[in-house]
Amino acid sequence: MLKIEHLTKIYDSGVRALQDVSFEVPDGQFLVIIGLSGSGKSTLLRCINRLIEPTDGRIIWNNTDITDATDEELRQIRRKIGMIFQQFNLVRRAPVMTNVLAGRLGYTNPMWSLVNHFSAEDKRKALEKLNRVGIREKAYIRADQLSGGQQQRVGIARALMQEPELMLADEPVASLDPATSHSVMRYLELLNKEDGITILCSLHFLSLARTYADRIIALKDGRMEFDGLPQEIDDKRFKDIYGEDAVRVEIA
Amino acid sequence: MTNKVPRSSRSALRRLLLVLGIVIGVVIYAYGWTATDISLDEVQDPVRQASVQRAMRELLSPDLFTRDRENRSFFVDFAIGCPDGDLPEGRTDTGDGAYVIFTPPCADSDEIITVEGFHFPADAIARIQLYREGQQNMPFRLVKSDAADAQASDESVFDLDSDGHFRVSVKVPRGRGLSGQTHQVEIQAAVPSGWPRLSATTETVIDKMIETIFLALMATTLALPVAVVLSFVAARNLMRQITLPLGNVLVGFVLLPVGGWLGYQALGPLGQLGVRWGKDVLPGLLGGAGALAGFALVSYALGRVTLAGSAQRVRSVALNALLVAVLVFILGVLGGLGIWLGGKLQTGLLADLGNFVGTLGTLVDLIIATLAAVGGAMWLSSLGASLVAGPMRHIFSPLSNVLGAVLGALSGAILLAMTALFGTQAVLLGLLTPVVAAALGGQLAVELYYLVPGARKPKRDRTDVDQMIHTLLYALGALLAFAITAYAIDLLRAIVDERPPSRAMIDLGLFEMRTYVAKSALIGGVLGGLAAGLAGTQVAFPLGMTVYNTSRTILNALRSIEPLIMGIVFVIWVGVGPFAGVLALTLHSIASLGKLYSEQVESIDAGPIEAIQSTGANRLQTIVYAVVPQIVPPYIAFTMYRWDINVRMSTIIGFVGGGGIGFLLQQQINLLRYNQAGVAVLAIAIVVSILDYASAAIRERIV
Ligand SMILES: Nc1ncnc2c1ncn2[C@@H]1O[C@H](COP(=O)(O)OP(=O)(O)OP(=O)(O)O)[C@@H](O)[C@H]1O
Ligand SMILES: [Mg+2]
Repeated sequence: MLKIEHLTKIYDSGVRALQDVSFEVPDGQFLVIIGLSGSGKSTLLRCINRLIEPTDGRIIWNNTDITDATDEELRQIRRKIGMIFQQFNLVRRAPVMTNVLAGRLGYTNPMWSLVNHFSAEDKRKALEKLNRVGIREKAYIRADQLSGGQQQRVGIARALMQEPELMLADEPVASLDPATSHSVMRYLELLNKEDGITILCSLHFLSLARTYADRIIALKDGRMEFDGLPQEIDDKRFKDIYGEDAVRVEIA
Repeated sequence: MTNKVPRSSRSALRRLLLVLGIVIGVVIYAYGWTATDISLDEVQDPVRQASVQRAMRELLSPDLFTRDRENRSFFVDFAIGCPDGDLPEGRTDTGDGAYVIFTPPCADSDEIITVEGFHFPADAIARIQLYREGQQNMPFRLVKSDAADAQASDESVFDLDSDGHFRVSVKVPRGRGLSGQTHQVEIQAAVPSGWPRLSATTETVIDKMIETIFLALMATTLALPVAVVLSFVAARNLMRQITLPLGNVLVGFVLLPVGGWLGYQALGPLGQLGVRWGKDVLPGLLGGAGALAGFALVSYALGRVTLAGSAQRVRSVALNALLVAVLVFILGVLGGLGIWLGGKLQTGLLADLGNFVGTLGTLVDLIIATLAAVGGAMWLSSLGASLVAGPMRHIFSPLSNVLGAVLGALSGAILLAMTALFGTQAVLLGLLTPVVAAALGGQLAVELYYLVPGARKPKRDRTDVDQMIHTLLYALGALLAFAITAYAIDLLRAIVDERPPSRAMIDLGLFEMRTYVAKSALIGGVLGGLAAGLAGTQVAFPLGMTVYNTSRTILNALRSIEPLIMGIVFVIWVGVGPFAGVLALTLHSIASLGKLYSEQVESIDAGPIEAIQSTGANRLQTIVYAVVPQIVPPYIAFTMYRWDINVRMSTIIGFVGGGGIGFLLQQQINLLRYNQAGVAVLAIAIVVSILDYASAAIRERIV
């Protein structure tokens, strides 16, 4: 169970990216966060694993207060929270395998990992995860030689190495074409349904959100604008979230 | 307002200002002209013109090659002071088929005669001299022009043409007892033979050039590791995120000297034991292997047991301590082995290798205790800070203020005592204490202001007025603290009279201490205690930015000192030679590479850092997995570039005694041997342009 209580983030520049956001996510839910560009989606997701320090409010996960954790505790918590990114954020010059193994860094002996040594068990697991996202044969290719969709699948494999209970996905398909988008989203769906991983995913397109979400939260200027089931978003709600001039764009 | 002034008068004013500006500019420029002694008199001076011509001609005729010469001598008779009666014949045969014609056939000393020779060795270089048994030969000096009053030149060497013919005007030498006798005149002809080969000068120059290239390489490689480490702490993007609660920072700081002392006492002897055993090889190898095996065993055994929360923490602390000890011991063993190996390898090619490992071993022996102290300080400090991190969260005001005051007082006292110890060394270092006190004082003033209800606001909520009050108060507090400290430690006397601080001691009951240091510590304690007490242990302390600013300041200060000056200092320390050059260039390379590298770190993509951090990796892992892969190519490029620069600089460093080709060049210039200097100049030009080209090519390929 993830509980967000009165979360507020004010950047040093004075921008109020999140204002008093509160909601709860039961285990196993596929939650999609939508909202216009600049509405605070990325900020919200990054506050949850404290890549960004929240200004105020609490984030409680499985009865631990993430916002109150020391550096050491935070590392223990982060191990169980996978994250994937719009820009994939792979180490581009390193082979795919190294990128995937990096997902184990929180578990390995720091000394060994510094010299790029991972246990045979970890390596076996890495190949298995790559297999799962369908790019096992790319294991020893440099990451920057893969297509966007393949790179995102490496990102998912890396997150899977953490054996996460929660997955944060920040616009995972925003730089992919519609077909590839669906294939990546289907992997996330699979993780949600088969492995029971709770997923918080931000998306631009409402149509994608409707297809995959159990529940949708909409942010507008850092505030919660909507929290409910996908089918509850009608034309009026849509205009509330995206503004009066918005037109619905469907993604196949 | 200005709109009311009529247009024409405005433009007139502007024109006047422009003219005035130009006049002032010209005057300033003229002053510069005089100040730099620009004068045409010297340029036109014929003596100077002649010497510069000679210098340039010789510089551009480098003594690159040489070949064997076969010297042949031909003897003919020549009378100085014509005898009475018959004049001797003008043509004289040498007996080897060659002959010369003197015109006139005989002459007095200092008279100019023409000598023409036939059938001498072709293309030879020749000279004519008076041959006297058992005495020094006297050259017939060449006369360049045919005028009657022509002066003889310094030269006596001339070239023969391909028929072995020559015709020269020479001056008959003067000497006691020469006149009125017939002398033997020797015509020496040197005929080149054999293949051209490198001259002795070229060989020395090549030798020195290799030394220079290696000097630059050593400086670059020695600077590399230090610069790499510095570049991470001097990178804003990596350091900015690091903030810790003030309490943790203070605990860590107070533990630094404790850990240093412990490390020195406990680990130092262990390391030295390692060195001793390493020198005896077998005990070293066994001990090292045993230590490693023991550590592996212990960590494996302990790893099998699953422990709960705090017990697990204790285990990892103990394991870390054990690891540090094992590493120090093994480093010692390696040093000892190095010394042993250095003693064994004394001959042939291996001698260099032996010297290398031997010196490294000795270095380890020398610094292992210090290293142990530094290691201990870091370990205990980070351990303390992380151990208190948990409990500290649950300490709130007023207890957090009391704790802050105690820790702050201790830290302030330690900090200023350390700067004061530095300050006893030299006047400028003495400034460090008041400057640090000023930083504390400024912070204290701001903290005092926060006592006003509602004054403590995060930076983003401050209005311009708030910000101004902050700056003003900070400046005021800093100034006050500076003044008080400067007065207390009698800075004026130090600066004006260049006297070291007083050596008076004060008895503190338990131990004695220099009053100077005690005073500084007291001031630090009061300022630090008050500031941290008011702030409380919970306040976020920008540890990263503090480290960043400190390291940037040091890098910039280092970079602003010319390597030439460093060279002079190191020549005083380690004597004339390439080692001084290596040290000077190393120091300068650290500063300059540190800056270049850290700029590369600052420009990397932040995405991978986020990604690696989000897996639960620690800071070191994040750097190794997200930062390092991005910076390797530019680091290689900059290192090449630096090597290139170091080769250039080492030619200059040589001028102050730093070894390498510069040293040779300076000697040759001082001896006015421009032919030889020309070779060195040419060698520098060639090597620098090759390196320049190579490093540009490599940079292009990598980046
Ligand atoms: N590091 C930062 N410093 C200052 N302001 C920031 C920073 N990051 C984001 N912001 C601001 O915070 C607000 C929310 O940004 P955020 O990135 O969370 O939006 P988003 O919903 O993810 O947008 P997008 O869909 O474009 O990714 C924006 O106004 C943005 O300008
Ligand atoms: Mg975003």
